[in-house]
Amino acid sequence: MNVQDDHTYPIRTANVGSICIISVAQAGTVQFGDRAETHAKIRALALQRQEDHTTAGDIFFESYSLFYLPLPALVDPDYDNGEVVSVIRANCSPNITVGNIQVIAAGSSASIQIGNGMEMTGESRIKHIRQYPRPKPVPPVGCPF
Amino acid sequence: MLQFTVVNHHLCVGQIEILGVSSASMLQVGDTDSVTLYSMFDTPPESVVVGPLAPFPLPEDAGGTMGEA
Repeated sequence: MNVQDDHTYPIRTANVGSICIISVAQAGTVQFGDRAETHAKIRALALQRQEDHTTAGDIFFESYSLFYLPLPALVDPDYDNGEVVSVIRANCSPNITVGNIQVIAAGSSASIQIGNGMEMTGESRIKHIRQYPRPKPVPPVGCPF
Repeated sequence: MLQFTVVNHHLCVGQIEILGVSSASMLQVGDTDSVTLYSMFDTPPESVVVGPLAPFPLPEDAGGTMGEA
């Protein structure tokens, strides 16, 4: 749908002189080049426990409603009525130029991309909880331990 | 039909410095059609406090609050 005449370019190319990234972790991505679709998703339970993880047992995402709450829907009555917005782009230059990029950290389904993309959908659900062992019931007076 | 015309003129950036790209976020040098980013975060209120705690006085209407000791 791009306007094409003598002074416009259909696609822009990203030019980056240098890039310095210290850390990419937890399903983060770095890409040099084009990409069609990205669906990045992360579920995390950040668990702080008084007891040791080896003895305290497993925990499950299904126990917490945050992980199955529906995503908020975009309500756009105009779009539903067929009033689609048509986007026309005119690129006056064939390049996007960046001299230097410095990133300290990228994590948790983050995306660093040098290049064009069509669709990016990212979703992160993170729950922090703390667990303490249930106190043992004290036996009544007179009962043997 | 509504027409939205975007004219991209020359774009030249010297330097980008970023501390962190966090959960389901993006940094892109390039063009894109659509971006949708969701983030849900649930944490105990005291665990997001970073640094020393300041001894705040009680708010004016503290007597009228319920369930906040």
